[in-house]
Amino acid sequence: MEHIVPKKEWTVAIRYNHWLMAAAIFILIASGFYIAYPVSLSFSDKVTEMNDIIFWHILAGICLVFLFIWRIYLMFFSRFHADWKDFFAWMNVKNSLKQVKFYLLISKEPPDHTHLYGPLQSVAYGGLLVMVALIVLTGLILTGAAGYKSGLTGIMYTMVRPAERLMGGLAGVRLIHHFLTWGFILFIVVHTYMAFWYDVIFKEGTVSSMISGVVFRKAHK
Amino acid sequence: MGRNADYHRTVSKQYRQLLKQCQVNLDHMDRELPPSVEDFGELLKERGVSRREFIKWTSLMTGALMLPPIFNPAVARAAEQFSRVPVVWLHFAECTGCSEAFLRTSYPGVADILLETISLEYHETIMAAAGDQAEKCLEQCLHDFPGKFLCVIEGAIPLGNNGKYMRLGPKGKTGVEIAKEVTAKAAATICIGGCSAFGNIPAAKPNPTDCVSVSKAIGVHTINIAGCPPNPVNFIGTILHYLMFRDVPPLDGLGRPVWAYGKRIHDYCERRAHYDGAEFVQQWGDEGAKHGWCLYKMGCKGPYTYANCGQVRFNDGVSWPIMAGHGCIGCTEPGFWDTMAPLEKPIHEDTFGGGQGTIDTIGTALLGVTAVGIAAHAAATAIRHRDDKSETK
Repeated sequence: MEHIVPKKEWTVAIRYNHWLMAAAIFILIASGFYIAYPVSLSFSDKVTEMNDIIFWHILAGICLVFLFIWRIYLMFFSRFHADWKDFFAWMNVKNSLKQVKFYLLISKEPPDHTHLYGPLQSVAYGGLLVMVALIVLTGLILTGAAGYKSGLTGIMYTMVRPAERLMGGLAGVRLIHHFLTWGFILFIVVHTYMAFWYDVIFKEGTVSSMISGVVFRKAHK
Repeated sequence: MGRNADYHRTVSKQYRQLLKQCQVNLDHMDRELPPSVEDFGELLKERGVSRREFIKWTSLMTGALMLPPIFNPAVARAAEQFSRVPVVWLHFAECTGCSEAFLRTSYPGVADILLETISLEYHETIMAAAGDQAEKCLEQCLHDFPGKFLCVIEGAIPLGNNGKYMRLGPKGKTGVEIAKEVTAKAAATICIGGCSAFGNIPAAKPNPTDCVSVSKAIGVHTINIAGCPPNPVNFIGTILHYLMFRDVPPLDGLGRPVWAYGKRIHDYCERRAHYDGAEFVQQWGDEGAKHGWCLYKMGCKGPYTYANCGQVRFNDGVSWPIMAGHGCIGCTEPGFWDTMAPLEKPIHEDTFGGGQGTIDTIGTALLGVTAVGIAAHAAATAIRHRDDKSETK
């Protein structure tokens, strides 16, 4: 006889962090593309535009900085589950291959649930955090160069400015910033699809788990 | 209010101390430098520059150097010493455009007189001597003023084929050899123009002669007066700073003086309001161009370029590129000929080497491939896992 047991998968902090980061990233992508390809949007007498949109872009960017720091903190110091070890799930080669085969629909046997993340997820989520770090770094250089450099952004700018030289000046910094954006877009598409796919295949409520924090595991008694 | 007054007192005290130090330095320079050939006051009178014009010019330079007005007399004194500093001016792989820009003017002002009377011990383009005589001048200078002369370098240094792409003078020395020999004895090395500072045009792709910047070629720290050509004000100001403080001005990570290259073209731009309001020139000569709107979409590289062109301007302060209606080409940045190309289109329309446009094309293509892949995977999943439901029942 089997029955279904709810299991707490995501803490409140992780769930807030996830959705706030998602919101910040969506705002950043939209405003970022406007800054890259500016057009006049004067619908009324008030001229909103470049300056306002750059302000919202920077505001969301600074939010992302803190969300990133919060996520790194949770990774090591979460009271419930410090998940830094789970980002190395890919090191189990056998299980990784198992997951690749499962994803490619070659085998029907899912990978073992050894970590919070599966092997491929650990690579994707780890990579995402690296991308966030890089886009935040380049973004802070561009923010400082744009003149937002008093107070907090000023301190951050001083810290990250040396990297500008390595990237060959502001033109290079901006190019890397723009390049990373596409990484986020592709991540969002694949991540969303895979979340739904998991939901359909395992029927454990993967999609709702990022809201409720709970997945429903089958247990045999 | 009390704190404010304290602050002002502290700051003015610091400046007074700095000024005192500055006067000590100028006294020192007065003793050390070789005597001047011509009297500076006489020279100004001869050229028709009044005392008033000279004082106006010193206030401009004081402001450009970001010093308060009490430094005006010090700047004036440094200007008087200016033509006594021995200078060796070397030319490597370049077009001599920087020398041209410095020496040719319509209305010679104080700056031009300074640059014309500068004590050039050696300058290949404008010296009367040639061949062995010229070489002797250089040797004489290295002998007479070791550690005291300024070495000014115009042009990148070719390293390819063991430096043999560039041979100079009667002895046929390579550029690297000459640069090493002269900079070793110089008080400081000033790189004039983008070529010597960063390699730029001679070093642009595909760079067959393997040109590099002076600092990269011979491994010395250089003061980089970047630009193509740079503004004479930035060169003169740097030497005035050297005279007043016996030291090179603070430099940024790329060796450029912060007082001149501390802010972007974009920050000083008179068309900035139109950028903030998203009013762009779309085409040469359109309504926007007539209204003086932002040139960002016409390829202006002002947002990525550190320089003070908009403040000090060119040709006796008459105008500068953006004022004249053309975007900035980013000539003070490293490798601008490659990274800022094409010069009259925004970076995202970069046609070669993977600019923002290329990234967007690849990104869109990848997005399409991902979408197709997802659809295929979903369909395949539907077939492969068709029987799952019955299993779980």
